[in-house]
Amino acid sequence: MYKYSEKDKKIIAGRVKQFRNQVQRRLNGKISEEEFKPLRLMNGLYLQLHAYMLRVAIPYGELSSRQLRKLAEIADKYDRGYGHFTTRQNIQFNWPKLPDVPDILEELSKVEMHAIQTSGNCIRNISADHLAGLTNDEVEDPRPWCEIIRKWSTFHPEFSFLPRKFKIAITGCENDRAAILVHDIGLKLIKKGSRIGFQVFVGGGQGRTPYIAKKINDFLLKKDLLNYLEAILTTYNQLGRRDNIYKARIKILVNQLGVEKFKELVDESFKKLSDKKLELNETTIQKIFKFFELPNIKHCNEKISISSNQKFNNWIKQNTIPHKILGNSIVLISLKSENRPPGDANSMQMYKLANIADKFSFGEIRVTHEQNLVLPHVKNSEIYEVWNELDKLELATPNIDLITDTICCPGMDYCALATARSIPISQQISNFFKDYGDQKKMGNIKIKISGCINACGHHHVGNIGILGLDRNGKEFYQITLGGSSKQDASIGQIVGPSFSSENLIIAIKKILQTYQKNKSSDKDDFMTVFRRIGIEEFKKNLYDNTGKTN
Amino acid sequence: MIILEKQTEKKNLYQRISQDEFSVNKIKTSSMLSLNQFMEAEKRIKSKNLKVGIFLNSDQSLDCLKDKLELFSIIQINFKSFKDGRPFTMAKELRKLHLYNGEVRASGHILPDQFVFLLRCGFDNVEIDGKEKKEWIELYNMDEGLYYQP
Ligand code: SF4
Repeated sequence: MYKYSEKDKKIIAGRVKQFRNQVQRRLNGKISEEEFKPLRLMNGLYLQLHAYMLRVAIPYGELSSRQLRKLAEIADKYDRGYGHFTTRQNIQFNWPKLPDVPDILEELSKVEMHAIQTSGNCIRNISADHLAGLTNDEVEDPRPWCEIIRKWSTFHPEFSFLPRKFKIAITGCENDRAAILVHDIGLKLIKKGSRIGFQVFVGGGQGRTPYIAKKINDFLLKKDLLNYLEAILTTYNQLGRRDNIYKARIKILVNQLGVEKFKELVDESFKKLSDKKLELNETTIQKIFKFFELPNIKHCNEKISISSNQKFNNWIKQNTIPHKILGNSIVLISLKSENRPPGDANSMQMYKLANIADKFSFGEIRVTHEQNLVLPHVKNSEIYEVWNELDKLELATPNIDLITDTICCPGMDYCALATARSIPISQQISNFFKDYGDQKKMGNIKIKISGCINACGHHHVGNIGILGLDRNGKEFYQITLGGSSKQDASIGQIVGPSFSSENLIIAIKKILQTYQKNKSSDKDDFMTVFRRIGIEEFKKNLYDNTGKTN
Repeated sequence: MIILEKQTEKKNLYQRISQDEFSVNKIKTSSMLSLNQFMEAEKRIKSKNLKVGIFLNSDQSLDCLKDKLELFSIIQINFKSFKDGRPFTMAKELRKLHLYNGEVRASGHILPDQFVFLLRCGFDNVEIDGKEKKEWIELYNMDEGLYYQP
């Protein structure tokens, strides 16, 4: 894992001091809420429906057990005993008090954590494949690159007041687990001959107008990465719209100019403004890579033994993946149990999980963009014990990638912008489909739920997307089908008039019936069938007898 | 209003001219002209070999001036809102692309928290309300000069 240098420590401490000053000025009335807003946002502090919300960065999803313990401690001391893991590999606390926030940040800094640039119109936390460095299908580990970009983008003097927020994601393999095509910039490490470089995509995004990112560079040399990113940001900072926040993201600019023209401007800026000092040399790169070497994991032939416990067997099938070092497994911990909002973990779970990580996984934990957690290196010989411990904590729900592994934004329960609730919808789904066998029959399928058009729950790229709407004070839900955030990314299509919350489950059931009916083999997953038969087939079955939108 | 360069208060040597008082013949080296005023006066500035100041708003582009930068002893960029980050890029381009080495000043709706960013992008100083001076200097002094960017 990455370790802070002395410089990192000083920079983070400096920021805590600066934020303390800003909070003081706000509390004394020296600055207005309007002026305070962008300053607090740069430190991850939002004003929500009931209280402030603090979003803490988990750079590229990596956590140490020590950090997880600190998060648990903060949840207990300053919040209501839990935290919420987000779709961008961050954690949110929903109830901190403004005067406490500088103290929270100070405590976080002691375990090398911060909330810098987790909100505001700046470059946000860089996200990565949660299996980075663990699988064989990888060209190169994306995490060191995230760290290099994290540094460059932190307190960037020029890019801290962009037209709108800016998100970058990196994947190291063809099988995209980081949803790079729905980010402002998506980077994919690729191999060309014996050299490794980046494919660069820009202008992906969700929100009101979803777009899939477009490729603007087929092979960017590693040494040029920062200068090229700088060229993209320079172009965006100058030309991105500032008159309408709904048109301010880079995706709108790329689409208005056309990708060719945008690329031309970026290339020109790159040519004219590239700075030798931003070029990355091999020594710097290697130094960062050193931090991300695997711990001392033993290679062996030990397989996971089948148990008489069916619950354990299901979990093994669903929630573990072979590690690239033989005899070990990657364990996925579902935060989508029946009784909790997706992505939530309480302090007790966090504390105990930190202990489990220490005992069985070299003290490492990861956060996925699908709001689950990972124990990256578990010996096959110890996996039963791990399951047993997780099960006691209600953290062993065997549903990774199945229908109840929903992604869901906080919605009306917390968010001031929401037009409908989203958490209860996801809980309804979890309850309705709780049987593992039933879920397994449905295969891999991603349901994503947003409580308003801002699409924080990524509904546009859900295989089944659900968007909460307000119609004359009643909650209604619009369904989209066929979205995907993987390497074959696509935006879901609206199926038709929306459904009341009571009818929503019936509608989902009918959609699944259509899927089941049209499967040509057991291997066909939802997306395969959808792409083959198209949306019309689903519509027919859906509106025939659910009764339209009532 | 005062001019602050790092911790030092400086004398303002330039005056803006209201449209009513503006006349091409009155232009001096201490004039701070708007883009329109400059365009009207460009010929005279060149023929008299004057150097003047120019005052741009954050939503005005530098593009039409990039070949005339030697006519300006100072470029003042006025933030319409502190959230409008374009001037940071404008200053960078002035310095790095156009190699402008005259004075660059920020004014308008700016916050002391932006002081160091402004200086790092190529601004020399800021025009601020004298009452805020202490705050600006305080935030300037809080900076320890440790950055991730060159
Ligand atoms: S999608 Fe809407 S309701 Fe959900 S978190 Fe985002 S802004 Fe809030």
